[in-house]
Amino acid sequence: MWHITKREIYDNLNSLRFALTTVLLLALMVTNAVKHLREHPKRVQTYRDAVTESLNHLTDRADDSLYTLAQYGPGNFYKKPSSLHFCANGGESLLPDTVEVGEPPVFMTDAEGNRLLEGIWSLSYPDANLNNKNVGPNVSQVDWAFIIGYILSLIALWFTFDAFAGEREQGTLRLMLANSIPRHTVLIGKFLGALLSISIPFALAVLVNLLLISTANTVHLTTEAWGRLGIIFSLALLYTSLFVALGLLVSARVQQSAVSLMILLLTWVTFVVFMPSTLASIASSFSPATSFDEFWKQRNPIQENLWEKYKEGRSSKSEDKRLRAKSEFYTENAERDERWQEERLKYRTSQVHRARAITGISPATLLQHLIEGFAGTGFERHLQFVENTQRYTRQLREFVADTDRADPESLHILGVREGMSKKPISPEAVPRFEDTLNLSRDFNTAAMELLLLTLFVLVLLSGAYLAFVRVEV
Amino acid sequence: MITTLIGRELLNNLMTFRFAAALLITLLLVVANTVVLIQHYEQRLESYNTSVQTHHKEIQEKQTYSAGEVEVDRPPNPLSIFNVGLDKRLGNEIWIAHNNVPTLWEARMNASDNPYLNILSSIDIIFIFEVVLSLMALLFAYDALAGEREQGTLRLVLTHPVRRGHILLAKYISAMLCLLVPLLMSLLLAMLLLTTTVSISLSADDFGRIGGIVLTSIAYLSVFYLIGLLISAVTQRTGTALMLAMFIWGALVLVYPNLILAAIRSSDIPQAKAVSAFNQIKQVWDEFDRERKQYLATDAFPGEDPTFNINGMGFFYEHFPENRLTLLYLYNSMMTFGELDEKFEREVPHAQNYFQFLIPSTIKTAERAWLIRKQALEDTLVRKANTKRTLLKFSPVGMYDAATQAWAGTDLKGVRDFFDAVRQYRLTVIDYFYSKNAFASRKWFAADEGTADWSTLPAFSFKRSGVEINAKRALPDLLLLLTMNLFLFMIIFLVFIKSEV
Repeated sequence: MWHITKREIYDNLNSLRFALTTVLLLALMVTNAVKHLREHPKRVQTYRDAVTESLNHLTDRADDSLYTLAQYGPGNFYKKPSSLHFCANGGESLLPDTVEVGEPPVFMTDAEGNRLLEGIWSLSYPDANLNNKNVGPNVSQVDWAFIIGYILSLIALWFTFDAFAGEREQGTLRLMLANSIPRHTVLIGKFLGALLSISIPFALAVLVNLLLISTANTVHLTTEAWGRLGIIFSLALLYTSLFVALGLLVSARVQQSAVSLMILLLTWVTFVVFMPSTLASIASSFSPATSFDEFWKQRNPIQENLWEKYKEGRSSKSEDKRLRAKSEFYTENAERDERWQEERLKYRTSQVHRARAITGISPATLLQHLIEGFAGTGFERHLQFVENTQRYTRQLREFVADTDRADPESLHILGVREGMSKKPISPEAVPRFEDTLNLSRDFNTAAMELLLLTLFVLVLLSGAYLAFVRVEV
Repeated sequence: MITTLIGRELLNNLMTFRFAAALLITLLLVVANTVVLIQHYEQRLESYNTSVQTHHKEIQEKQTYSAGEVEVDRPPNPLSIFNVGLDKRLGNEIWIAHNNVPTLWEARMNASDNPYLNILSSIDIIFIFEVVLSLMALLFAYDALAGEREQGTLRLVLTHPVRRGHILLAKYISAMLCLLVPLLMSLLLAMLLLTTTVSISLSADDFGRIGGIVLTSIAYLSVFYLIGLLISAVTQRTGTALMLAMFIWGALVLVYPNLILAAIRSSDIPQAKAVSAFNQIKQVWDEFDRERKQYLATDAFPGEDPTFNINGMGFFYEHFPENRLTLLYLYNSMMTFGELDEKFEREVPHAQNYFQFLIPSTIKTAERAWLIRKQALEDTLVRKANTKRTLLKFSPVGMYDAATQAWAGTDLKGVRDFFDAVRQYRLTVIDYFYSKNAFASRKWFAADEGTADWSTLPAFSFKRSGVEINAKRALPDLLLLLTMNLFLFMIIFLVFIKSEV
């Protein structure tokens, strides 16, 4: 078997397609690296500036008093740009990179504009970017996901379309089978040979790409990032073997190599180029979009309800009860607002999730999702970021309540100036927001897709085996 | 003789597996996508219609003239089903006010859709053609000469007194005839679907535009067939030809358009030109502000508060919003009250005088700023975008895309036609204000003695430019494609004449 593999590799190494493949992959990977080196430092700088600014807000508010912190909250949250952005862009330019800390609402002012009734902050989720100021052509991304998903799969077909058909045409297949080699050995030998000869130029291109990126001192890759890169590289191999198996399958069934290539190309075009977009369009027209107005309509009655309830409590004689009514009004209002925003986001997310699930029939989309998942970009990553901010928000609110409880002078009525601790707190004691990525979580979300991709490979491989065993030479 | 050759070639091509496969795939893809695309178009049309109604209602409800920011909607282009271009992406809702000459950069998106869905890719009919037709043309061409050479039939044909040019021509004509079948049949089906949809009404001009798209598609198809033929003429074996054809297809269709856009530097930092233009615009408005303050200072009712201490139920604001990226800078002010208290009656004439001075002056300043802004936007944003487009045209795919966008009217120029119409309409609205003497009237800011009258305000209407304008815009790229055809054919002819069989 090893002989067959070696022969295949030698055959391929000297061929024109090997040279062309190497040049093509190198050009793409170098462009990818150069672009990343040019853009990533800027991205990181913007992120750092934004984070510093929101940290300043937090410090200022904490320095002022616990109440100010409780009323205005921390500064906005920003999504940490992934250092593996070059692996998958994941539509990052369309996704928002922040979760905003909404200004406290003002319910009532007096004639001079002084705020009489001022609520507390709540989280708000900005819409996806619309890109409607850009008059240029659609921006395309040369990221690893594109190079692997489109180019490498095409190359895999290019290397395998004549694996059996070509040898049959030349008559060498009969010669080989005349020796006492079992057919499955021939198949596995061919499979490994093709896979390895594609891996050589790909690994070379990846090496150059990573060399360029890791030697530049503007971009830093952590150990975890290298681990993720390793996973992405193995994903690329898995995906390539899918197309190698497909190529072998068709090549074994078809008599002429030209016909074999044609079938392969048409299959490729349908599954890789058209399937994702057509399915996405179909899926997105399934569920109707809910307009902003409709959501807004759901929100208004709730607020009126709260206002009525507060008016009752306001007229109470006891100072304590009045304050409590106010506090309840503020916190409930903030909670309702937050829940309303969250529901809106959830509705939209579920739409996208449905569309993404349907497009998962195409292996190219599966790969795209997997690479996005492991590179820490794209839609799932955005949701993770949103979750991180929600978790932090809970943490911060607990911290505020705990600190207030520790102050004996405070009345422990949260959200109201008169009822809360007015002492400044040390900014160091306030928990900080950290936007982290969790590799094991990524594995969990990717598990299903990974399984599906592996299943695809296995089905195609066994198909190729059956086809080759039964074929007459 | 040539007819015999063509007949033979036709038979050869039509009875093949590749022909059947090509037909099937194109038909399947085009029909499936057209159905979805029509559905999306209908959704957009519906949201456009609701939006127009809402905006109409909103303006009628405005009680004072100063509150009347007329909003205008951009209708979706039915030909965006063929090539969506910028039709879906650029803003489709824009406000018209006296203080700014509107451009497409101020346009907003009608917010009834889920913007997160944009991260999923979408396609149109031309994209299918771009990918599938080019692939088919190459698959039909790669063995046209190399295959016959391999089988020895080429030598056989040449033993007859046939001119080599005729052989080439026969091959070209017959293959093109075969390739036209999937193209025309799928287009026919798409047209059938389009015309049977009630919400889409195509005008005679639209059929002309679609005709232009078909013509461009044929030229595009022919370019790729000729590329394949050239490969076939220079290679000895079909295997090599096929491999090379595949490589070139991948390079031209997949790699180049992506690579070139990634390779060129795109910076968000405004260029020096944009910065200086912005400062000029700001200066113009600063001058305006000085005049305004001077007026207030010399007014019989001194003081800098432009609301003249008038207060009541309603609201007022004034500020200078800016956006450095799109060179937006303007004076925005509004004062609108439902009812006025008796005690302010004394100040009302002052306010009326003030607005009679302020609004025409704002209009004049907006026009002055627009002259600077127009040029600067052209020099920075539009030119940058056009450079990218030009670079894309080094691949036939880019030419094809640009030409079909121009035919469909979804290119930048087509979308800008709408904004030209919007600017024209703004003048109409201002004329309407003048005819109502709105600026000097009490109704500009207060609704207590009669509300603003919007009943005779001319409605906005936009008609896409005529087919001849589309043709003019598409012609350069179409000509490029045709020249490329001619050039390729000449090279093939030369190569083939000189080659040994």
